[in-house]
Amino acid sequence: MKRKLISALLALTMVISMTACGGGSGASGDSGSGDAAADDGGAAADAGTDAAADSGAGQEDAAPVEGGSADENTLTVWTWDPNFNIYAIQKAAEIYAQDHEGFKVEVSEVQSDDIETRLTTAVAAGDLSTLPDIFLMQDNSFQKYATNYPDIFTDLTSSGIDFSQFSSAKVAYSTLDGKNYGIPFDNGAVINCMRTDYLEEAGFTIDDFTDITWSDYMEKAKVVLEKTGQPILTSQAGSPDLIMMMLQSCGSSLFNEDGSVNIAGNEELKQMMDIYVQMVADGTLVEVTDWDQYIASLNNGTAVSALNGCWIMASITVAEDQSGKWAITNMPKLDGVSNATNYSNNGGSSWAISSNCQKVDLAIDFMNSTFAGSNALYDDVISKGALATWAPAGESEAYNESVEFFGNDAIYAKIVEFATHTPSNITGAYYYDARDAVGVALSNICQQGADIDSEIQTAQETVEFNMGG
Amino acid sequence: MMSKGKKFFMYAFLTIFSLLSIFPLYYMFCAATNKSIDVIAGKLIPGTYLIENYKSLIANQNLGLALWNSFRNSFILTVLCLLVCSIAGYGFEIYHDKGKDAVFTVLLTAMMIPFAAVMIPMFRMFSSLNMVNTMAAFMLPSISTPFMIMMFRQASRSFPHDIIEAARIDGLSELAIFFRMFFPTMRSTYAAAMTIVFMNAWNNYLWPKVILMTNESITMPMLVANLLGGYTVDYGMLMLGVFICTIPTAIVFFCLQKSFAEGITGAVK
Repeated sequence: MKRKLISALLALTMVISMTACGGGSGASGDSGSGDAAADDGGAAADAGTDAAADSGAGQEDAAPVEGGSADENTLTVWTWDPNFNIYAIQKAAEIYAQDHEGFKVEVSEVQSDDIETRLTTAVAAGDLSTLPDIFLMQDNSFQKYATNYPDIFTDLTSSGIDFSQFSSAKVAYSTLDGKNYGIPFDNGAVINCMRTDYLEEAGFTIDDFTDITWSDYMEKAKVVLEKTGQPILTSQAGSPDLIMMMLQSCGSSLFNEDGSVNIAGNEELKQMMDIYVQMVADGTLVEVTDWDQYIASLNNGTAVSALNGCWIMASITVAEDQSGKWAITNMPKLDGVSNATNYSNNGGSSWAISSNCQKVDLAIDFMNSTFAGSNALYDDVISKGALATWAPAGESEAYNESVEFFGNDAIYAKIVEFATHTPSNITGAYYYDARDAVGVALSNICQQGADIDSEIQTAQETVEFNMGG
Repeated sequence: MMSKGKKFFMYAFLTIFSLLSIFPLYYMFCAATNKSIDVIAGKLIPGTYLIENYKSLIANQNLGLALWNSFRNSFILTVLCLLVCSIAGYGFEIYHDKGKDAVFTVLLTAMMIPFAAVMIPMFRMFSSLNMVNTMAAFMLPSISTPFMIMMFRQASRSFPHDIIEAARIDGLSELAIFFRMFFPTMRSTYAAAMTIVFMNAWNNYLWPKVILMTNESITMPMLVANLLGGYTVDYGMLMLGVFICTIPTAIVFFCLQKSFAEGITGAVK
């Protein structure tokens, strides 16, 4: 019996390896036939990116990447997600190659955490030669790296890229001391994605949730719970995401301009925590154990809405049977806070050109003519759910098309507009420490009934301790 | 003779616990055959979406290359590690020297240092030797590990010195004694060690991720991590990746299961 089992497993592994190899060569075969007339270098590279993009893969056409590429016309890139960032950079390369024969990018698929590990390792080891020409960085981490390791970036302030065309909140993430270190990429504008069928059941429409305040929202949430039996929101337990979004919506941060911690005595923060705790107590906000459960609550219809960065749409649209039952509006704003808005941001990332890049002019020109200057690029990547923060993109036709899944609304233009209203916030080098401390405070309050004021004080002290003062 | 009631409880207890240990594997298999949305919905019966998951997996990631790299790296590393560590362990036990206990203490202390602490100096060392992105850079740090040396030293303790004496009298060289007397007797220790080394090499993630930067050197754990990286996760595809990643270690374990138990408890009877 055991022998049979082993042979079966062995055979299975061999079959998988063989067909996997076959699959790979099949895909690269496509790259030949994809553009039959391609015999010069430029078009061949083009076809390569084409095929890779078609299959959503970045592997087939990538030659070894050790630091910068030796080829004059090739840029090396570290980024993650074949269906999103890798797709976008390859599409950009394809568009750029139309005017610049022979241009191509060599993409190495690296997760965002791993990019950070590699950057830290390279800096600590004093060997920056391993860095690629271009890498992508999470907006929330950008300040940390720009503050601690400015040597890894190329200063883009006087590069000719027009940063005023991007939403200012987005540019702020990659700006330190007035210097621009990054080219903004995808949009993390907060949207309030709601199930219209549930709203109807409770006697509401999406307009009842547009431009409203949190107190109004909380009252309506109770009605929705009563009529439909479903909580209006779900949230990952202990995750401060929602609080961070609320905080940014009124231009407040966990840090002051001078970098000092702004947790204790931050009235807005306290008000938000009160709202969160109250909603949990009302049953209108249900905490789930992890991210997978959160996505499940949206797909399974056990939550009426999702309040998150606009990238959440990609997870919502997976449930094809719910097409037409969703609508998008802006988030509620805080009561009695002077700078409060209905707009915020969660997530998103920016491209950076490394200091190891030997072809800075090429890299800047590439970025300037694509991510900071190509409607064609943004019109294409919208199919993957990657929305621009580059304002001119919002005016194109593709952004004004109606989307059936979201009740035939022109949601893309709407989201780009949301992004332009978003107040900027201060992330700083200790953003994640502060965020985690707030998360701990939140779960202590919700789960153990701890006192809000003392938890906020503890959070303040924790972050100050981590900052070494 | 056990009473019927006792037997019933024993079986019930064992059944429940085996179900609990098998369940994650079963779930992994089910999820690999279902659509992402069904996995999310918590479907617990095998579905019909395996082929589609497989197609999207190979379209998304270079599965063949990752499998080949993982196999090659783990295999070579296992062979080298067993050879080096067993000789070292044997040497520590059989030969006498004043300093050996001190050296062994240093080795054991090295075991206590977490990998994260030595990662940066190690990267620096390899980068100054121009060895970044080479297979050797991936393997060298794990070829000789204090744990394996200790394991072989412990095992050598039970190896009868009389055999060595007899072999010496019969004129075998020291190296020949190791390969022709020690090696065959200690087969089950080798089997146990092989299981451990292979699994560690196969599952190693952090070091290869730092030192191997090209797409060409992708290994299975890196591939699985890539599947988790995006804004949206295709759970069916992800679980298929995990499933395929699990098979080789399962094979190694099943093949060496008997010897593994023996090797851990002591090789010489």
